[in-house]
Formats: sequence, structure tokens, C-alpha cells
Amino acid sequence: MSIKYWLDLYAVLIRSSIRSRMQYKLNFMLGTVLAAVIQIAEFLMIAIVLNKFGAVKGWSLYEVGYLFAVMTLSKTLYRTFASDVHHLENYLTTGELDQLLTRPVPILMALMSQNIRLMPGELLQGGAILYWSMHGLMSSGQIHWIALPYTVFVIFTGAIILFSIGLATATVGFWITRINELQTLTEDAAQTAVRYPLILYPSWLRSILLVVIPVGFVNYVPSLFILRGEYGSWLVYGIAPLAGLFLYLGLKFWKFGLTRYQSTGS
Amino acid sequence: MLYFTLASKAYARNLHYRGAHMLHNIASALFGYLYACIWIGIGQDRPLGEYGVHGMIGYIAFTQASLWISGFITNGLGIPQAVRTGQISLDLMRPVHLFVLCMCREWGQIAYQFVYKSLPIYLLYMLLFSLTLPTHWTTLLYSLIALASAAYMSICMNYIIGATSLWTTESSWLYWVNHALINLLAGFFIPVEWLPSWLQTISWMSPYPYLLYVPTRIYLGYDQSASLIGSLAWCIVFTLLCLLVTVIVRRKVEVQGG
Amino acid sequence: MKGDIKEMSHAQPMIEVSGLNKQFRTPVVKEGRFAGLRTLFTREYRMKEAVKDISFTIHKGDFVGYIGPNGAGKSTTIKMLTGILHPSSGEVKINGVNPHQQRRQVAKRLGVVFGQRSQLWWDLPVKDSYDILAHMYKVTAQDKEKRLKELGELLVLKEFWLTPVRKLSLGQRMRADIAASMLHDPDVLFLDEPTIGLDVTAKRSIRGFLKKLNSEYGKTILLTTHDMDDIEQLCERVMVINHGELSYEGSIENLRDRIGLPTLIRVTFNGAYQLPVPDGLVLPIEVALDADHTFRIVEANNREVHIEANRQQVKAMDILRLISGWGEVADIHMEEPDFEDVIHRVY
Repeated sequence: MSIKYWLDLYAVLIRSSIRSRMQYKLNFMLGTVLAAVIQIAEFLMIAIVLNKFGAVKGWSLYEVGYLFAVMTLSKTLYRTFASDVHHLENYLTTGELDQLLTRPVPILMALMSQNIRLMPGELLQGGAILYWSMHGLMSSGQIHWIALPYTVFVIFTGAIILFSIGLATATVGFWITRINELQTLTEDAAQTAVRYPLILYPSWLRSILLVVIPVGFVNYVPSLFILRGEYGSWLVYGIAPLAGLFLYLGLKFWKFGLTRYQSTGS
Repeated sequence: MLYFTLASKAYARNLHYRGAHMLHNIASALFGYLYACIWIGIGQDRPLGEYGVHGMIGYIAFTQASLWISGFITNGLGIPQAVRTGQISLDLMRPVHLFVLCMCREWGQIAYQFVYKSLPIYLLYMLLFSLTLPTHWTTLLYSLIALASAAYMSICMNYIIGATSLWTTESSWLYWVNHALINLLAGFFIPVEWLPSWLQTISWMSPYPYLLYVPTRIYLGYDQSASLIGSLAWCIVFTLLCLLVTVIVRRKVEVQGG
Repeated sequence: MKGDIKEMSHAQPMIEVSGLNKQFRTPVVKEGRFAGLRTLFTREYRMKEAVKDISFTIHKGDFVGYIGPNGAGKSTTIKMLTGILHPSSGEVKINGVNPHQQRRQVAKRLGVVFGQRSQLWWDLPVKDSYDILAHMYKVTAQDKEKRLKELGELLVLKEFWLTPVRKLSLGQRMRADIAASMLHDPDVLFLDEPTIGLDVTAKRSIRGFLKKLNSEYGKTILLTTHDMDDIEQLCERVMVINHGELSYEGSIENLRDRIGLPTLIRVTFNGAYQLPVPDGLVLPIEVALDADHTFRIVEANNREVHIEANRQQVKAMDILRLISGWGEVADIHMEEPDFEDVIHRVY
């Protein structure tokens, strides 16, 4: 199996996935615009409050905007390429997974290439807030251009962390099938929590968000160095091997879960 | 009695999933907890208007629990799904008005969510943040009336959202936009008076404050029963709108031939 | 219970199954207060044995039918053969390779069709799905064109070549699906209820195609179905599974004989006839043919007599000779047992 084979196949699958989606053009465009509206409304919620009251525990509106934007972009990256990992429940309840298992490609890749979900609305919103907050921080001299490559790096490692958490959560579905509720906890709630500085939360919640569901490493931990120069640059670089470790654990768990797969209907 | 049967069926159907819903409640309670933490953080160095930190915690606790009454209701009252499967023409043939049919089902759903979601979540917050109940029983009564009207308005909104699926086939986006507007304009996280003035104006021109803000204010004792007049007025407006929408829907389905 | 597989014994084994078992764990659902919550947090399971100690061998070029009532373990077996499910114990070998250790390698040589769901891309034109599959199975552009031309003619794919799959009729979809499973020229074809829900014409065209695949292209085919016509018209061998166990394996004729359903003989007399039994006796009644053998008279009216006889035991000629003594025979009609009835007996 050469690399070329995988890349070719993946390109073909992505192209067809986009073509499928484009069959419903109006829906796609409407969805894009409305997704952006929804996302911006969510940010306005916190922006209005911080604008009125100044800062929260020493974190300015720009800084919170940065956390918010990095999380949105990492999540967009993860959900774009692994959309159907998040929707594994559908495959489990309908038995669609059987079909994928008869294909001569690794099951995770088959699943990921089923759907490429283009999310321009989220991308636009995340990009705009990131630009706005970094621009604000740069003009006040708090950060310099070097923050930009760091930020790009962090968005990618963050996507890997979120993917690992999503994969591990989905894997639980091989035992309990219904994972929607669990996902609300490990994905939605956890991701929402770290849009705001972790320092707001009591220590038990902070440790959960760093150890049990390590979303804190997506944006909060690296921003301590990128925005505030605390600790050192190792804080950012150190996240790469950590993300690699989470990915490895997630994949191991996934492999194990697959052997426990009980196809529906006997 | 038919109406009650419809509602109780919807209630009973949910009972099967109580276990999973309890897990979901943990997540939901966590969301409110996060918002409370943000207000605690903000309130550390400055007073929070007439509420104070403890008042804001009570505010967030009540809106978070109320979301399950006036926020999280079935997308389009299940009409989009009925349109996809063709069930809609059957529903229109029944001797019950479509709006009443959908509404009764949803009341059962809301009743279930009140018992199994709102109450446990609020009880948890009461213990966690040592909140107290209102001192006077009329306050409790008025806030229940405000919540019931909020639920009714939300049902009407979703009925209208659901009806649009006859034209667009996909209405989940409208549902989410409606939800985003609830977050922003209904005073879910920020009390309406703290919005920038232009947003405040928009908010008060819309029915959104009556979904969460007004019931919460009444419950916390900041507003009196007079605010209920606004709720009532919007309920009447929505009822008329829904009746109008049903006429249009009926015509549309008849033209399409079901 | 092994049937007539001797003429195949020199052929190369394609599917080998030995001692296959599958148990499912289903959580015990709790009753009463907080039932849902307790179910969620307790680790109490009920074991269900879906497949029990199944062994068989299918040789290259065989066309085998796999039948059994709903819930007997058919699908579970197929899923284990294709590598979808891991067996609790036992071993599967497809052309000498274990699909659970080397799923991907086996998948390359398999074609799988599930009648209930499509392997094609729902929103894309039929043609696009073939392009994707060709990439996936590393079929060269040349081979792809050649095979699609052949398959296209046999299955008449051209008429819906550019139609999105979701807009195909069930029969068209099944043809497109079978072509998809053949695109990479697999050795073995698994078909799980390929004719389900199809009308008579569509069924006929699918059967004709499958027959050709087997006889002309030498594909090994394993087919599950509820349609006994499929079995009767296509399969040389059948395997019957019931309650997770193989209850029969062999030819269709052997199966019919083994169960011994009676042949129905309808005799019409010219005018009056005399039965060799006293008047007023209630039918059906056993009549002795000779010292060891009997047959049954099941119905008699003024011109017709219905007789049931097991032809494994008695010769039809002997019965006819006896009958001719009862009166003047005008017409005789014999009915072989219906295959559907045979199967119901096995279940």
C-alpha cells in the first residue's frame, strides 16, 4: 500500500463527498450563512458582557476572543475531516457500518471519507474573531508577529486532540450504541467550557478539563505562553507529543472497540 | 380527552429514555455551572447591578432550568419529519386541527422535560449554590404562569418553523437560529437591560424576553405580575399567526396532492 | 448429514468454516423505579447464542443457498464470513486467509451485496460510485472499462447510468449494486437476500445474471434468501440453519427425499368406482399396498379420489395397478411436493 494510493483514494472520496453535498446547493448556502449567524451570536453573548464589565479574572475581551476563535477553528478542522466519526451512532443503529467493513480500507478511513463537511460559516466566524482579537493584541503590543505561526500550530494540534476525544467517545458506542448524551458531555460541554479561561473554574473542574477530557490543551494552555509569555515556548511545543499520545490512545481504544462490534440484527 | 391522551402518550414515550436523559442532565447542569462561574469571576471585582453575584447565580440557575421548558422543544414540532415521510397529509386529514394535534404532543414532551430535566437541574443548583425558594406563594404562581406562556409561545414559534419545511424541506437551520436568538435576546446569559441599547430595542420588539427573562425576573421578585400582560399579548398574536399558517399549509398540501 | 459433495471433492476449497460460534451479550433490562438508570450502570448481561458450532466447506465454483427462518443466525454467519463480526470461537478461511486477522486482504477478493442496503453513494450518479470503487479496489482504468462494458450489457445499466442512486427503483438499485460488487472481479460473492422486495421480472433478471456469473465466470456464490424459487432455480446445494445450528447440508433432491413429503396423486374415474374400504369410514384412511407398504386416501367425491404416497417407499406404478381395479380410470395427475413445504418441514 503506497502513500500515493491512499492520497489518490482520499482525494477521490473527498471530491465525491463534496459533489454529493453540492446536490443541495440552496441548503448548503443557507446553512453556511446561518451557521455564521449562530456562531457570532454565541460570541456576542460573552463579548457584550466583557465589553460592559472590562475583564474577567485578568483576561481581557481580546484574550477571551482568542480562546474562543482557536477553539472554533480547531473544532471546525476536526469536524470537517472526521464528521462521520462524530456521527458513528447513525452507522451503529442502521447497520451501515457493516457495509464499510466489507471494504478493503481501514475502517476509520472509510468512515472519515464518507463525508467531508465543508463549514465555511464556522471558518469565517473563527477567522474573523481570531483576526480581530490578534489585531487588537498586536496593536497594544501584547503579542508580536511570532504569535501567528504559533497559533496556526496550536490550531492543528488542537484539532488532533479534539479528534482523539471524539474518537474515544465514539468508540464507547460499540458497547452502548447510543452515544449522543455522552457526546454532549465530552464534546459539547467540554468544548464550550474552554472557550473561557480555565482560571474561572474551581480546581476540580479545571483538572477534569486538563486530565480526563484534555480540551484545556487545545487553547488555554498554549495561550498562556502565546498571549502572556508565561512558562516558555516548550509549553507550545510540548503539546505536539501530548496530542500524539492522545491520538495513539484513541486509536488503540478504537481498534479494541471494533473487535467488540455487535452488528445489529442477528 | 383526546388532547390529554395525545399529551400523555408523548410523556410516556420519553420515560423509556430516563437513564440516558439523566446523563444528559449532567451535561446540561454543567453548562449552567460554567455560566455561573463566569459571572462569579466577573463579579469578583465589581458589583453586578441590582442582582449582585448571588443574584446572578440564581438568575443563571433559573434560566438554565427553564431552557427545558421554553428553549429545547422538538424541532418544528416534528413537522419537518412528517413532511419528509408524507405523514403530513395524513395528519391534515384527521378530525383534529393540525396545530392542536402538534401542540398537544408537545405539551406532553414539555411536561416530561419539566419533571425529569428542569426540576432535577434546578434542585441540583439549589443545593450547590444554596439558593432559596421565593418567600411568597403568589410569586411561584405568577412565574409558573409566565413559564407556561413561554412554553406556549415556543410551541407556536416551532409550529411556524416546522411549517416552512413544506417549502424548504430542511428547517433545522431555522431551529438553530431561533435558538441562537434565544441565547442572545431572551436574557439567557445576559439580563436584557445589560445589552447594548440597540439590541435592547430589538429584544423588546420581539417576543424573546418573554421566553426566559420575564419569567426569571418574576421568580426572583424583581418584576411584578404586571409583566404577564406582555406574555398574554404575545400568546394571542402567536395563536392568530399559527391559525393563519395552518390555512396556508393546508392549501399548499392540497395543491401538491399530498 | 453430509450430502452429495463427492463430485466436488477434487475442487479447491474456497470457504472453510470450522467450529464457528457466536454469542451476543445483551444487557438485562431492569424493571421498576429508575429502571433506565439502573440498566445504564449495571453490568448484567444475558448471553444469546446466535451461531452454534457450524462447520462446512464450499468449493470453488459452487453455488450454495443458505436458508433458515428469521433470527436463525443466517446474517450472523454471513457477517462472520465477510469479516464484519468477530466469532466467539472457531475459524473462517476464505481462499486460505482468515478474514478476522487479515480483513482488508480478504475484502479485496470478496463481493458482498446486502439486499436491504446499498453500497453505492446515495447522492451520486451510479457511474461515480464505480469510479470510487475502482480506486478503492485498485482496478486499472482499462479493466474498469472492460468490466463495466460487460456488466453494463448483462445488467442493462446504461438506462440509469447518470441517475443518482437515491432515485433508482429497487430493481435498478439491485442491478447496480451487484455490478458494484463485481467490479473488482472477486472470487467469492456473498449475497444477502438479493431479491427481497423485487417484482417477478426483476427477480428473473437478477437470477439469470447470477446463474451466468456462476456457470460462465466460475464465481463461487453463497446466497441467503427467503424466496424458495431462488434456491430451486440457482443452487446446487443448500445449507439449512435453525436456532443457530446447521440442520441440513446437501442437494435439494436429497433434502426433499429426506423429509419424505408425500406425492399427491389425483385420480379421476369414468363413472362409478369402488374403494376397497367399508362405506361410512372417515377419510383419510390408510390402505395396504402389500404386506409392508401403505398409502393414504385423503379425499373422495363422486368422480375423484386424492391419494398421498411417499415415493421413497412405494412405487407409483404399483399404486396405479391397484387403483385400476377400483373402476375405469379416466385421468391421473401427480404433484411433487412443493419446495416451500419441504423447507417448512426442516424448520
